[in-house]
Amino acid sequence: MNSEENKDMEQPKILLLDDDFSLIKRFIDGEESIFGELVKRHKDKVRNIIYITLNNGDLVDDIAQEVFITIYRNLKNFRFESQFTTWIYRITINKCKDYLRKKNIRRIFLPLKDEEAEPVFESINEDIDLKHFVRNAIAELPDKLRIPIVLKDLEGFSYQEIAESMQCEIGTVKSRIFRGREALKKILQPLEKELME
Amino acid sequence: MKKNKNEKELLSAYLDGELSHDEKKYIEEQIKSSLELQKELVDLKKLKDLTSSSMDRIPDSPFFETRVLATLNQNQSVKFRFKKWMPVVALSVLTIVLMIVLKLNPNFISNMIEEQKSNIAGFYKENLRPLLYAANLSNEDIFNFAMYQQIPLDSNKQQILKLGYDPQGKEYFEIKRADENKNDQKADNLEKFVSALKLDKQGEEQIDSIINSYSDQLSSLVLVNDKNSVAINPTIWNTRKAILADIISFAQKSASVNFSKIVPNEIANLDVSALTKWADESKNIKDKQYIFFTPDSIFKDDFIFDMAEFKKNMKNMEVEIKNLNKDSKNIKSFSVRIDTTFSNKKNIKNRSQQFKIFADSDFIQVTIQNFNIPDLNIENLKIPDFDFIAKIINESTQNLNIVKPSVPQMPVNSKNYNYESNKTKSKNKIRVDINLDSLMNLRNLITDSVRSQQLKELQNLNDSLNLNFNYFLNDSLIFMQNNELKKEMDNLRRELKRFRDEMKNYENKSDGKNQNNFREIKNNGVRIIQI
Repeated sequence: MNSEENKDMEQPKILLLDDDFSLIKRFIDGEESIFGELVKRHKDKVRNIIYITLNNGDLVDDIAQEVFITIYRNLKNFRFESQFTTWIYRITINKCKDYLRKKNIRRIFLPLKDEEAEPVFESINEDIDLKHFVRNAIAELPDKLRIPIVLKDLEGFSYQEIAESMQCEIGTVKSRIFRGREALKKILQPLEKELME
Repeated sequence: MKKNKNEKELLSAYLDGELSHDEKKYIEEQIKSSLELQKELVDLKKLKDLTSSSMDRIPDSPFFETRVLATLNQNQSVKFRFKKWMPVVALSVLTIVLMIVLKLNPNFISNMIEEQKSNIAGFYKENLRPLLYAANLSNEDIFNFAMYQQIPLDSNKQQILKLGYDPQGKEYFEIKRADENKNDQKADNLEKFVSALKLDKQGEEQIDSIINSYSDQLSSLVLVNDKNSVAINPTIWNTRKAILADIISFAQKSASVNFSKIVPNEIANLDVSALTKWADESKNIKDKQYIFFTPDSIFKDDFIFDMAEFKKNMKNMEVEIKNLNKDSKNIKSFSVRIDTTFSNKKNIKNRSQQFKIFADSDFIQVTIQNFNIPDLNIENLKIPDFDFIAKIINESTQNLNIVKPSVPQMPVNSKNYNYESNKTKSKNKIRVDINLDSLMNLRNLITDSVRSQQLKELQNLNDSLNLNFNYFLNDSLIFMQNNELKKEMDNLRRELKRFRDEMKNYENKSDGKNQNNFREIKNNGVRIIQI
């Protein structure tokens, strides 16, 4: 009896220490220094999502910082209806989308030369790094197909998580992942032999 | 085909482990029966492996949370952001409000400025009182004003107002600190002038009353108050000329002979009637515009100063003060009504060019640019150059020194100076030891030695010894010498007369016996006389 009671007593304590919600509650109650703990917990995931989504390591920390600042400012309005991670990933994906949108707008104003120069240079490279090639192929996909694929295959997100992060239906995620893979296959067609070996 | 696509999509989801139990069962059956689907599954698996292995994880960033927290501390909250935008928002709101106000009321700002101006003007115009009351103007001051165009502004005579003309002939005012030395010099100009004209008592009274008659007018042209503002009416230039004209015409009428002695003919023979006419006419010209000198601005404004009312008020006040001393109740306040509206000057343009101002720590000069002193237009009247006249009168009276010769007491106690003649008289013998040459020689020697001694001292000492020097060089010394010489000569003459008488007696007695003796005496002159 006693041991069972002790277990019940300990259970919430562990929850209190580990659960995001308890940290968030403490934060809302005014213990703002706890935010550092939240950052520490989730920074790796956030940074990685940004990295694979943008296929660019240079801007990861800047965007990740923006993500956490947004979280900090909105954390007091967090309603505990969904998982904290889902909320974080949604913010992260949105920030990435924002960045990509801005980049696309910027690209319109850039000279055509620069845009074409890079792929040509890379394809001529004799020492073809397969990983690099696949990365480029993924990068060629439109954002709405690419993001679900990388979240699934690189981050191991479930369809449910992807749907929540991207604020869409599970069916849509399923369809997009399938379409994305079909498109990838087509892009990688010329290298089929090397790839399949 | 559609079915095929559907199956392929299921296959992709199957690979991801995202199918429901029924879907999973269904697709597994389909795979078993279809080689195409089997190959597809293998391909998909390879592709999935490729994609999942294509990217390494991003390297760890150990200081990431530190950076995030630091950034967060920099811009703490949404409130902070609002604070940052606050001035911009406030400014834009203000701009919009101003735009609306100005749209509805285009003269809003200029009205506001005018209002402020009249407020300031009102502040400085408060309690302006005539100069007569502020500075206790004497006749001497007014006379000096006519002559030198400067008049004291306060009772201590520390500040003076000076009128003048710059090289272009523009009038200017100067308010400056009075030079004390100059003031001393000019302390008795009127007295000098009167003495130069050799006026009798009646004449003196007349000139006093003439000058005094201007004091009211002059006072109302220059107003001062305790806020250090000075209001000057431009007609002061005319008034000054009028005073001068009156003085000249009076001088010419009552002391024409003496007056013509001190001034050149062209002034002495001026048409007196024209001058008086000019002076009378100029009295009637009045200008409402005053120029205000205040500690921080100079402006021109209408100001009506009623001397009569002011005097009435002053009288009332005196009575009140007397009453106040009696029962110390019922304090009434007196004020002079002032028109402080700027309404009639809204159309004045180029205000900044009205005055040219030079200022120093204790000196301010204002040249009036676009400003016309109300002028007189009397036909057939040649107005003399008053400044020239003033200068002439000034110079001529300045050189008239009333001489009060001071005769110093000569120190005549030294033996060398004293000549004693014939103190001992012999009855029989007359022995006169006089030699005029030697006497003069002696005298000269003494004075020379004294002078040379003094000169030597002077060479070594400073000018303060000048007095001493003058003392010995003074003509009175010669005068004294002459006096003594005269006495001696008288004595000598008496002696000679007696000698002649005795000689006659002697001739009569000796009958030419002593002719030779006599000749001898004659030849020897007066040096040795033996009887």
